[in-house]
Amino acid sequence: MRIGVFVCHCGSNIGGTVDCARVAALARDFPDVAYATDPMYTCAEPGQAAIEEAIHEYRLDGVVVASCSPRMHEPTFRRTVERAGLNRYMFEMANIREHVSWIGKDKEANTNKAAELVRLAVEKLRHNLPLAASQFDVNKRVLVIGGGVAGIQAALDCAEGGIPVVLVEREATIGGKMAKLDKTFPTVDCSACILGPKMVDVAQHPKITLYACAEVEEISGYVGNFTVKIRKRATYVDWSKCTGCGACTEKCPAKKTPDAFNEHTGTTTAINIAFPQAIPKKAVINAQYCRQLTKGKCGVCAKVCPTGAINYAMQEEIVSENVGAIVAATGYDLMDWRVYQEYGGGVYPDVITSLQYERLLSASGPTGGHVLRPSDGKEPQTVVFVQCVGSRDRSIGRPYCSGFCCMYTAKQAILTKDHIPGAQTFVFYMDIRAPGKMYDEFVRRASEEYGTEYIRGRVSQIYPDGQGRLVVKGADTLLGEQVEIKADLVVLAVGIEASKGAVNLAEKLRISYDNHGFFMESHVKLRPVETNTAGVFLAGVCQGAKDIPASVAQGSAAAAKVLTLFARDKLESDPQIAQVDIRRCVACGKCLRCCPFGAIKETEFRGETKAQVIATVCQGCGLCTSTCPQGAIQLQHATDNQILAEVNALCQC
Amino acid sequence: MSVLDGKELRIVGFLCNWCSYGGADTAGVARATQPTDLRIIRVPCSGRVDPLFVLKALFNGADGVLVSGCHPRDCHYAAGNFYARRRLEILKRFLPVLGIDERRFAYTWVSAAEGQRWQHVVTAFTRQIHELGPAPRLEDAEPLLKVADMALTALRPLGSGQSAALDELKAAIRSKLPELDCVIGWQQGRDAAHHVPLFMRKPEDVDKLVWGPFNVNNPAVYLPSFKGKKVGVVVKGCDARSVVELLQENLIRREDVTIFSMPCEGTLDMGRVDQALGRYTAIDQVAYDEAGVTITADGRAQRFCMADWAQGKCYGCATPSAVLTDESFGASAPVEAKATTPPELAMLDAMSLEERRAFWRGQMERCLRCYACRNACPLCVCRDYCVSDSRDPHWMTQEDTVKEKLFFQTIHALHLAGRCTGCGECQRACPVGIPILALRQQISRAVGELFNGYAAGMNPQDVPPLLGYAVVEENIQEQDWK
Amino acid sequence: MKYAYYPGCSAKGSSKDYEMSTQAVCRQLDMVLEEIPGWNCCGSTPAHAVDTELSAALCARNLDIAARQGAQLLLTPCPSCLSNLRAAAQRMEKPTFRQRVNELLDEPAAETFPEVISVMQAIAREKENLVKRVRLSLKGVRLAAYYGCLMSRPAERMRFEDPENPLLMENLLAACGAEMVDFPLKTACCGAAFGIPERAMTARNSGRILELAVRLGVDAIVTACPLCQMNLDLRQTQAGRAFETRFHMPVIYYTQALGLALGFTQRELGLHKLAVSAEGLLNKLDGLRRAPAAEGGQS
Repeated sequence: MRIGVFVCHCGSNIGGTVDCARVAALARDFPDVAYATDPMYTCAEPGQAAIEEAIHEYRLDGVVVASCSPRMHEPTFRRTVERAGLNRYMFEMANIREHVSWIGKDKEANTNKAAELVRLAVEKLRHNLPLAASQFDVNKRVLVIGGGVAGIQAALDCAEGGIPVVLVEREATIGGKMAKLDKTFPTVDCSACILGPKMVDVAQHPKITLYACAEVEEISGYVGNFTVKIRKRATYVDWSKCTGCGACTEKCPAKKTPDAFNEHTGTTTAINIAFPQAIPKKAVINAQYCRQLTKGKCGVCAKVCPTGAINYAMQEEIVSENVGAIVAATGYDLMDWRVYQEYGGGVYPDVITSLQYERLLSASGPTGGHVLRPSDGKEPQTVVFVQCVGSRDRSIGRPYCSGFCCMYTAKQAILTKDHIPGAQTFVFYMDIRAPGKMYDEFVRRASEEYGTEYIRGRVSQIYPDGQGRLVVKGADTLLGEQVEIKADLVVLAVGIEASKGAVNLAEKLRISYDNHGFFMESHVKLRPVETNTAGVFLAGVCQGAKDIPASVAQGSAAAAKVLTLFARDKLESDPQIAQVDIRRCVACGKCLRCCPFGAIKETEFRGETKAQVIATVCQGCGLCTSTCPQGAIQLQHATDNQILAEVNALCQC
Repeated sequence: MSVLDGKELRIVGFLCNWCSYGGADTAGVARATQPTDLRIIRVPCSGRVDPLFVLKALFNGADGVLVSGCHPRDCHYAAGNFYARRRLEILKRFLPVLGIDERRFAYTWVSAAEGQRWQHVVTAFTRQIHELGPAPRLEDAEPLLKVADMALTALRPLGSGQSAALDELKAAIRSKLPELDCVIGWQQGRDAAHHVPLFMRKPEDVDKLVWGPFNVNNPAVYLPSFKGKKVGVVVKGCDARSVVELLQENLIRREDVTIFSMPCEGTLDMGRVDQALGRYTAIDQVAYDEAGVTITADGRAQRFCMADWAQGKCYGCATPSAVLTDESFGASAPVEAKATTPPELAMLDAMSLEERRAFWRGQMERCLRCYACRNACPLCVCRDYCVSDSRDPHWMTQEDTVKEKLFFQTIHALHLAGRCTGCGECQRACPVGIPILALRQQISRAVGELFNGYAAGMNPQDVPPLLGYAVVEENIQEQDWK
Repeated sequence: MKYAYYPGCSAKGSSKDYEMSTQAVCRQLDMVLEEIPGWNCCGSTPAHAVDTELSAALCARNLDIAARQGAQLLLTPCPSCLSNLRAAAQRMEKPTFRQRVNELLDEPAAETFPEVISVMQAIAREKENLVKRVRLSLKGVRLAAYYGCLMSRPAERMRFEDPENPLLMENLLAACGAEMVDFPLKTACCGAAFGIPERAMTARNSGRILELAVRLGVDAIVTACPLCQMNLDLRQTQAGRAFETRFHMPVIYYTQALGLALGFTQRELGLHKLAVSAEGLLNKLDGLRRAPAAEGGQS
């Protein structure tokens, strides 16, 4: 080989504590080194041009740059050598800045260490091989998991971009939590009115296939070629015949069925349509409460249905879809706030959650939009809002902020006054987080125009006063006093958590999640909608607390990523992946078992079983290489021989 | 190039690209002063670090080795560090039996944001290595040749196995033979005091089947080569565990193997027996009694009682009856399962680190690199592709040095970690009688300690611990950097 | 069953009735309380407010005595003693702290201490026994269980039920037939040791608790802490003045209530020592028991 070594001064960053010229001089004597020099700023344009010139002049077939961290400039220099006609993997870096010049001032020790690290890099490079990316087909269809506003936006953007979309939603209707809201901040737009048209677009878009009442069962394959199994639950109503007329719900006798859509603020019928603007506008039977399905006595809905859509014998179904990319938009749930025994632990009927309050406020809710106390159905005159119930609370292991409660509490306080003009509202808060456009102004309106009293302090206890009202005891930290308020209704801004089953789904998708079940993005600042698993993207609260505009933005962002992925007909794979030496493989299966990504499969070769790496799924971790006893599977660019070369360079006795 | 004599020691670091290398960079950006000894090798993931890299470094002049990766749960590749944690903890517990101070190796978790932590780790580890001083070399030790004390009590009474239902077994084999390609057992070898494997293909072959304390070979070693054919195998208790281990790893299929077993009363340590017999022209007679066997060679009779002459592994055996069998004949005496230390391992336990180095120096000088140990191992399925004689990857040279020979033993022992059932064939096959089983037993002991008493080869549904991981490890503590 | 017992200073003095009723109930349940020899005051509020190491040393001495007696468990009736003993045991887990405390003791304290729990928790383990031995059911009597602020908090230290809503007392008394109301101020502070320096605050705090009890229509407040009992009973008139009323609310120890169910007399349980008479409650109980339908009567 003919290796060129460039020992960068980086101004005085390296040159100040490392004798770069000496390092270059020593490098000239290393095996296979044909040229060595010490430029001042290697990454700058002249520096890079000098490398290209040297490659041509000295007929170099490999380059070592000793400078800053490869995490900084490896891609830069790889492009440099590629421009000069070399394969980009015939390049190595020695980190003599972050790991040498910046951590000590002993010039002799630093120079010696720098020379050793250069020697290490040269030895590795001597064992490097040129690598080429391979290409593979991509199935230009996308799966969106979750039909909340983020998923809806992602689906619509992809569909408008010409990509067929499969949208899977667990509930009977899409719309997610936004569909449960009465109005949205800061415009106080009617939620269903702004979301509704988008939901209808989803239903009517020719490129979107919607599976509601369905969940993802299994995912196999890799980016560009996923196979997804979807479990469609039995709704006992043939949706191809159901017109959503609602005749069944009017006649159903089982009126005490729990109403999950309305957050259990009321009850519904066993056969029901979630809410008037539900998409799909189709009836669903709750099998546990249906008298026909549990006791065999009833059948009224089948009798009154004008299209004969009821089918008590329906079974669940598994369907299979093939897609090239997946967007996870599974949203959130409210945590179980009943751990707060000091707020009654769920026993007091007039202490409710914010979502329950939304259903009371909403005209499509169980009270027809009248705010009434659950205990006696009377209008409350004093409503107390408690923020941060289960957010920013380390004592229950939930240190994070839920992101939108300050805003919706202000909104709910405003709406309370709209509904009950004589009402007095109080908000107990820790801080007010109102960073968005028109947000802070909105919160001010709540207190300045709508007379909401904001009290900075936490609530220590809520208990009944024995006369039908509730005593809310808290602190006013700005005044330094305790306060006690007699409330008719208390609304808790309950903290959010990852949607139920999120962790399970993450494992099926092979993506990471944090302590709280929120999916992990590739980089929290710079790559918020991508994951470390190729082909899987994120949108919405499943990635972390955020409000509707941010969720919509992420939905579009995820769609943009999908469209970018599909912009070419073929995808290129990173060649720094594992490769099997067919001759050495004895099919013991250990690599297959250990691969965290399922990137290894069994294949037949001349009648024998062998391991094979699925190039597009392999992420390049090398676990297989350290597992294989024969060394038959090797992670390219970090092979056993390459790492051994580095070890041997350091340990030579 | 070398470390600055008198100032630095050779410390090698393997850092994962995503977290720890980033953490080291962060430390650099913060200008966090550190001692200069450490030389960093970048790997994609801590899971990429084969424990043998660490050993290679330690055997070849490294005074200390540090591995650092992402914190468990934060691995960029989801699960790499979970595997690393298990494998490197096992490595740490393996070093002392080789005579290497386990404080010369540490693995830790440092995230990309933890520059200050990285500085602390490097400073503390470098200080620790300097306190330990330059690593003593295997080649410098004075050879120490010692033999293990075999005066032991067995967990169950050992005997000559002559009351076993051999005829019933033979009848059963004969009746199954038509469906099977072959049934593997034992037969008399060169004389009545030495048995060798038997491959029964015809009914007449079954007549040659023998049972008793000379049946030292483990017939399971032949099973992988019969893959795809229907084969029967006669097993002792330890052999059955090898069969189970092969099943766990899909190296044989359950439906292809028919297991015949009888309870084992122990096998003789033929190395010691042959030494006692000395040179002879002919074996006149081999007479069994319940507790032993009397061998008359060239007119001289010697009695070998099982209680004193059994193989080391037999004393601590808690599975004399096959744990998995299709047909079994006879029941064994109940075994009171108790934690026992095998004799060779007990001898090493009692030695200091220096003595152990001296011991392995002495033993490895006797090693011929015949690879009988490897070939006799039922789980060594790499056969022609063993890394010990390969150039790609090039782990070892062919040099006849104690270092290379001991390194081979560590390769074998680590490749077997969590899989070795302690059948002892490696040691039995060694023509010069090196107690290499102790190395594997130390790893098996560590596996048991770390994974709630896990023992290899007990249940075909088990997953060998190093081929799996747990998100939370009950028994592995994180390195404390004071 | 034998238990090592740390009575605390109040038990020998101002809350002798708590001690009497505790001993009576435990005797009936075959729980033998063996006072550890030579125990000293736990330091209560003053010690830990002034010097944590001295406070821990005071408690460590007691824990050491119990350890040397071979005790696995140490029972105490007073929540303040309980809190101090448990806090000291936890702090002593740190070697540097332990070292400094050992210097204050005659001899270094034992390496492991017995676990300290309240007598109530030990009685709860004998619940089956208790139910069997109830002779005079409390059926028909409405009670409010008041734990005070120390019994269940801080949660990690006391490990006593849910810190905001403990239910142990309710369970025990309900098992004897009593009707236990939902008492939201069950863990609200009565004023504690501020009865002298901050009289007004104590009167307000205690008054609030008494006022709620009156409003909920209970026959008595049942408590487990000598200081709470003092603030609510002895200082009830002061509390009443702060609320411009008279409460007439008996405040008894839970062991006295259990004792009544087990058939002990007033005198045996020290009920004659109450500042606010419990006559109302006792008369009601008698009335219920003499009722011909024998519903609330003998079992």
